[in-house]
Amino acid sequence: MDVIVCMKQIPDLQQIRIKDREPILDNVPLVWGDLDKNAIEEASKIKEAVEDVKVTVVALGSDKIEQGILEPLAMGADEAVLLTDPAFAGSDSMGTAKVLAKAIEKTGSYDLVILGEGSTDNYSGVVASALAELLNLPMISYVRELEVQDGKVKAVRNMEESFEVMEADLPALVTVAQEINEPRLPKFMAIRKAGAKPRHEWGPDDLGLAADEVGQNALSVETLSNLAPEQDRKNIILKGNLAEQIDALVDALTKEGVLGR
Amino acid sequence: MTEADEEKVEVVVVGAGLAGLSAAYVLAQAGVDTVVVERGDYPGAKNVTGGRIYMHPLRHYLPDLWDDAPLERHVTRETITMMAEGASTAITLDNDKFREEPYHSYTILRSNFDRWFGDKVAEAGGFVLPKYRADDVLVEDGRVVGIVMGEEDEIRADVVVAADGVLSLIAEKAGLRQAQQPKHFAVSAKEVIELPAKSIEERFNLGPGEGAAQLYFGTLTKGMLGGGFIYTNQDSISLGLVVGIESLMEREPKIEVHEILEDFKARPEIRNLVADGEIVEYSAHAIPEGGINAMPKLYSDGIVVIGEAAGLGLNMLITVRGMEFAVASGVMAAEAILKAREKGDYSADSLAHYEELLKDSFALQDLETFRHVLGFMENPRLFNFYPQAVCDIFTELMWIDEKPKPKISTTVIREGVGKFLNWSTIKDGLGMLRI
Repeated sequence: MDVIVCMKQIPDLQQIRIKDREPILDNVPLVWGDLDKNAIEEASKIKEAVEDVKVTVVALGSDKIEQGILEPLAMGADEAVLLTDPAFAGSDSMGTAKVLAKAIEKTGSYDLVILGEGSTDNYSGVVASALAELLNLPMISYVRELEVQDGKVKAVRNMEESFEVMEADLPALVTVAQEINEPRLPKFMAIRKAGAKPRHEWGPDDLGLAADEVGQNALSVETLSNLAPEQDRKNIILKGNLAEQIDALVDALTKEGVLGR
Repeated sequence: MTEADEEKVEVVVVGAGLAGLSAAYVLAQAGVDTVVVERGDYPGAKNVTGGRIYMHPLRHYLPDLWDDAPLERHVTRETITMMAEGASTAITLDNDKFREEPYHSYTILRSNFDRWFGDKVAEAGGFVLPKYRADDVLVEDGRVVGIVMGEEDEIRADVVVAADGVLSLIAEKAGLRQAQQPKHFAVSAKEVIELPAKSIEERFNLGPGEGAAQLYFGTLTKGMLGGGFIYTNQDSISLGLVVGIESLMEREPKIEVHEILEDFKARPEIRNLVADGEIVEYSAHAIPEGGINAMPKLYSDGIVVIGEAAGLGLNMLITVRGMEFAVASGVMAAEAILKAREKGDYSADSLAHYEELLKDSFALQDLETFRHVLGFMENPRLFNFYPQAVCDIFTELMWIDEKPKPKISTTVIREGVGKFLNWSTIKDGLGMLRI
């Protein structure tokens, strides 16, 4: 059985600074989205539970992916497809889905495609649905429990106020929620050996896509602005001894409606 | 490669600071299978310096590294300021030598530099493993054979290089260092304050790319051992201070380091330099001050200790050094390991070559030469009496009011004799001869 996991490198959100309401992305290290790690973890678990499973990671990212790709490979993936061509940069959700679909088709065989329910940067949550459409696969989203058996996938969906149990014939596509598992921290020797696993780098040509069909040349949605909310600091300096300062703090917080609601 | 070899590396370096990366760089270039384990998100994520690196020793030890290194400004002006209550006196050195290439020293931001250096190590063939923390050493038959990470991970190696910084856990776990004394450490707090390059150049009177290094001592540390510093980076200013941990512990009433830093920043001498800047980074760090008296054992079977983990840092009163020691010790450890590798012998006897190299270099010789500086600096008069006395004399000379002024010589002799001719100052003067 062939399992495909789609992953994307994103800037480490904890290290992004906001200046003049705009995020500063220079020099911010790239990491995998948290939910992407849930996806690869789930694939690794299937590989451990079911015989004869091959896991392929299809990863979008920059040329700095070389080191980063060791992580999913060490977590259990057998092979990686790297989509790092600069032409892919700046894609919107539809563009991303198109590139992923072509890459997945090119791998030759796919029984189960797993993604996180959204990327942790823009969180449009659209890519997986578009990808399922392009590959003409049944899709089960927001999966918190997953089981693969007898050519079928059985999944429990988190509907927030209820759980829904669904089943689909393979091939199928699922998106996983964070609660589905706890991604493993790969051991050093696994990371080291991951370096020897096969990797393929595919650009637009390899996928049969023209330059104007990918990345910023093929946007279906235009981002007009991407601003952080404004936060004015109150700049209140409390005076007096500790007891007085605490009283003044409680007063100020009550006045702001933070306390005593 | 045999099956057994696949489960082990040749060298594991703990800590991606300047020492660890330097060792790894030399080893990787020589084709040694080297892994650097770093607990931060990337090399440099947790590394701090005040802000300036002296280049001449570094070019000697790593000649090919520096051309495209992300350094900040080359320092062209050195200022030392004595701070008293409500007054300060500064001495500035501006020398054309500082403007000659190759430059003497640069300001530096370690989060940028170390990350770049980590990439260099990887390019050279080393393996840098961030977000993994070494918690212990693996010991078999009395010799170190690797490191333990977390509950169930380990890396086996021919040699462990402990480069895990000032409070080195690895050197301690390997039994190479004793419990530490507070008097051998200082604590530093530092802010990086962002400002446009043009503002920095105007405020500090600098040409493009030129930098200023300023040290402050006196009342800013409120009688405690220590001092303040400012270094100009390309688009930011590093501002901070250092206080002896023992002085801080013994002080009554208690005071927090960040309060001292706030008071320092509020001084009119400092306030205007950083006005309208945005604080983009705040850090605190321990600094070794014990000098040669506080060094651990530097090697044992299967392990060497380098950089601040080895206590290699030196406060020479008017210059503060650590990074050159880190690089030099890293390179020398790598050389010793390469020699041990040729012999296939990583025993203590074989690795002792590292200490021999250190002894022949500036690193241990400077530590020896300046071994009495710490004792000298424990004198509180250095931080309250002298800066005040100097500022008083200058104020007396500069101040014009309606009363007739005495001759300059009269003022200098009267004030000078009054303030500086007594048993304490003579004793301090004699003490100074030891440093």
